[in-house]
Amino acid sequence: MSAAPVLELRDLHKSFAETAIIRGVTLEVTRGQRHGLIGPNGAGKSTLFNLISGQFAPTAGDILLNGRSIAGLPPHLVNRRGLARSFQITNLFPRMSVAENLRIAVMGHHGHRFTLFRPVARLNRVRQVVDEHLERLRLQRRRNDMAGDLAYSEQRALEIGMALASEPEILLLDEPTSGMSREESAYVVELIREVTEGKTLLVVEHDMSVVFDLCDYASVLVYGEILASGPPETVRADRRVQEAYLGEEAA
Amino acid sequence: MSTVPTITARQLVLIVLGLAILAALPLVLSPSLVNAAIKMLIAALFALAFSLAMGQAGMLSFGHSAYYGLGAFAALHLMKAVEDHVLAWPTPFVPLVGAAAGLVAGIVFGWFATQRTGVYFAMVTLALAELLFTLAPTWNSLFGGESGISTMRMPSWALSFGNDVHVYYLTLGWVVVSAWCLWAFTRTPMGRLAVAMRENEHRVRFLGFDTHLARTLVFAISAMFTGVAGALLAVANEASNYTIFSAQASANVVLQTFIGGAGTFLGPALGAAVMTFFARVTSDLTRSWLLYQGLIFVLVMLFVPDGIGGLIALHARRLRGAAISRFVVPYLLCAAVGLLITAGVVFGVESVYVLLSDAYVAQRRAAGGAVVPYRLVGWTFDPLSPLTWSLAVVPVLLGGALLPLARARTLLAWDKAIHEAER
Repeated sequence: MSAAPVLELRDLHKSFAETAIIRGVTLEVTRGQRHGLIGPNGAGKSTLFNLISGQFAPTAGDILLNGRSIAGLPPHLVNRRGLARSFQITNLFPRMSVAENLRIAVMGHHGHRFTLFRPVARLNRVRQVVDEHLERLRLQRRRNDMAGDLAYSEQRALEIGMALASEPEILLLDEPTSGMSREESAYVVELIREVTEGKTLLVVEHDMSVVFDLCDYASVLVYGEILASGPPETVRADRRVQEAYLGEEAA
Repeated sequence: MSTVPTITARQLVLIVLGLAILAALPLVLSPSLVNAAIKMLIAALFALAFSLAMGQAGMLSFGHSAYYGLGAFAALHLMKAVEDHVLAWPTPFVPLVGAAAGLVAGIVFGWFATQRTGVYFAMVTLALAELLFTLAPTWNSLFGGESGISTMRMPSWALSFGNDVHVYYLTLGWVVVSAWCLWAFTRTPMGRLAVAMRENEHRVRFLGFDTHLARTLVFAISAMFTGVAGALLAVANEASNYTIFSAQASANVVLQTFIGGAGTFLGPALGAAVMTFFARVTSDLTRSWLLYQGLIFVLVMLFVPDGIGGLIALHARRLRGAAISRFVVPYLLCAAVGLLITAGVVFGVESVYVLLSDAYVAQRRAAGGAVVPYRLVGWTFDPLSPLTWSLAVVPVLLGGALLPLARARTLLAWDKAIHEAER
């Protein structure tokens, strides 16, 4: 298998003042891969996501999206290059309707970023795409409800749907099942599998079982470095990983 | 809560009716009231433009007097040029230059201010307006120094613009067209984006939008219509000076918007019109009118945080199909409570004001230091008589005693009406 990498991290470093959080991460996510990024608390997973999605600029190293550097670009430009992300803490427009939440995400992608001289209701293509998303996310019946009034798992579905609305080349999911019950978690994992069919994924997860359910490749991040990479079974069997991560869980 | 605003048939009828009344007003109003109506319309547009940034996009600007003033001065310079026959420009189109001035200033100032959000944004807007306020009195060529600029409206299109009725219709036309534009804005993708940025700017950035650019644009559009309002004021007054840039003017539009209801579209316009009228009437009657204005603001924020517009929207939304007659008695009771307390407070405040005034101190000195009676609205009162002060205390106590009853009756009426409306 020699698929071209969609996302490539080259010797990435990030320090806050004196503290080095990311200490030389090199990683490839190939097209169609469903890549899980695991690691104990404080390993730097969230920081890594924030670097990739444009929240922070790296201290050293490079981030390539389809072979072009995106390191240091602001979030909106990273998004337009084809990378979208969801957030660990639900990050919606709580007092706007579900359909409007999706519409904001869709209209940017359809060239209506600053459209001033047309009512939003007449953007037929945008409306159509929003309807498709609502159906796929199983949120049709909630379309006119305020996003803030949705159940937690529904909010999570909407959150992922919004990230998908810009039709990204690669989707970053930040702990998509954090704070969920078993049933909610199973529902969301199933939904993610469904809506991201054939898409390239990079998922940060604390919950190992989610990674094994969802991903075909896994990397373990410990103290800002990649400890191991490979198919989930191989990674799970790795001694160092067991010591660093699973050992902690078992304790 | 926010959905794309639409107009129902019922609202359309009300709007047409409202416009017809506004158009007919000069036929029935006295000249001084026509002038008051012009100022109310201008204040309404100012508040609508301000709340595009505030209500829609959540940008609380404390320096909107800057764009108001720049619009006014731009209009005055244009009118002066027309007066001096340097330029031929029809008077009805003078506000266009106010719009241009507001837009340009909004882009430049907005680009800086929108780098920050929340309190920091408010501080930057305030500082930029203060900059103009201190600069204007010393900049003679542009702002006419401390005395400001005055000019005259020139006749055009066979209209003299010599009386307030002509100015009224010019103002009304601009205010209606501008209000329509501002309303239409809320329904555009840009307008929806403004709401989304108010809700969660961070998320918007990760959806591919340059939020700094977007916020600058929203701010500039708000400043543009503020400039129109300023130009209309210049046309109406034919003069202006640096005080138009004062922080007081910026604060006024904030207060008016909140009293009117920042969450509704027309609420701020209503608040601005009402408070402008209130200021005009009370400032002639008493020098403590600013105190009353402050009291109204505090009371509205404490008990009706959604403002006048929010109150109207609440009634319209919840009481559809319910018998309005149910509310006659409770609301009359509330009005009586309000009147009693207001009467007591006003009497007390005005009495204290008179007793502390220089004029009264001089009277006492003339009487050899004795406590002399004082006059208030044509009556004479003895400051040492308990009867005098009971005029302040008794109405307040009476109102306070009736308050629980009025409250209970109102709540009961609401309960029944909602029950009825739901059936």
